[in-house]
Amino acid sequence: MRRVIVLSLLLGVLTTWFVLQGQTFGASAVDNYKWYCSQCHGTNGKGDGPNATKDQPVSPRDHTDTKSMGKLTDADIENVVRDGGKATGKSSMMPPFKKTLTDSEIKDLVKYLRQLCKC
Amino acid sequence: MRGGFIEMELTKIFYIWTFLFLSGMMIGTPGGTAYADVGGGQKMYEAKGCGSCHMTKGPNTDKSFEDKLSHKGPDLWFAGSKFKKEWLAKWLQAPKPIRTMAYNSIEKKNAGDHPKLSGKEADDVTDYLMTLTSKDVVTGTIKAKNDLMGKMVFEKKQGCYGCHLSKRGAKVAGGVTGPSLVDAGQRLQGDWIYTYLSKPQAVIPVKRMPTYSGVLTDAELKGLAAYVASF
Repeated sequence: MRRVIVLSLLLGVLTTWFVLQGQTFGASAVDNYKWYCSQCHGTNGKGDGPNATKDQPVSPRDHTDTKSMGKLTDADIENVVRDGGKATGKSSMMPPFKKTLTDSEIKDLVKYLRQLCKC
Repeated sequence: MRGGFIEMELTKIFYIWTFLFLSGMMIGTPGGTAYADVGGGQKMYEAKGCGSCHMTKGPNTDKSFEDKLSHKGPDLWFAGSKFKKEWLAKWLQAPKPIRTMAYNSIEKKNAGDHPKLSGKEADDVTDYLMTLTSKDVVTGTIKAKNDLMGKMVFEKKQGCYGCHLSKRGAKVAGGVTGPSLVDAGQRLQGDWIYTYLSKPQAVIPVKRMPTYSGVLTDAELKGLAAYVASF
């Protein structure tokens, strides 16, 4: 019986390891924001990332702007992150992240944006 | 009696699973690098310390931002699939920044201090680097052209210039966190661009650019690769 338990445990560990090999890693909302979003929106979310050059047709949204961010529902924000600006009637400068972030990471980002805008 | 039967069955399952798992690992390992040249170019590459910043043994197994940040320079284990040979030999003699920002940084500017090689050194290192290829880059798939669908994706559908510099009419404009795409077709092979867009996990698994595979159609990705390769 002990052999059965050891084999089952080993099988479980190997399966978990195998599954983890193939999936995207889960990062925190803060890390994802700093890695992806801050390129345009800035590290502190003020819309002043390095890509916000004067030549760009639109300026990145200031995520600390309580008034303008407060007009958006969680679903609005989630849709823009998932499908990008173009799919949601905004600028195509905002790319879609649905194949980059998991659903759970996108939902966590929405919560983090709510903290940034205090709204 | 019953316990013995279960034990036997579980042992069988375990052996079958282990066999299938190991077979899958051997078949499914991504990437892969060919090493043909072990001569002067490789010795020069090592003597110049290029390996302190660049990786020549693939595949890249990064799984986190921390893993990615541990690299000091771009991977070269697929250099022969990525670069145009003539461009690489010239660039190594007179390196000009391809990225406005330092590699792996969105805060620090690129200091533009990549070491220069002499003509002979550059030719030898280029010969060596061009032997490093990825099996995931299928040659002959993409032909550089002013592809209308690709242009539409680049300029309208996705706004690639948000992160990449490119020629816009007479001037150069765009974002700066991605590598510049000005004259990208002189530097990059179209097949590489297509592989990077369609199978990023096989070549650069962790990156700041969003994944477009599954967002754009395969025809759009091919068109985009052909268009960028025409720059």
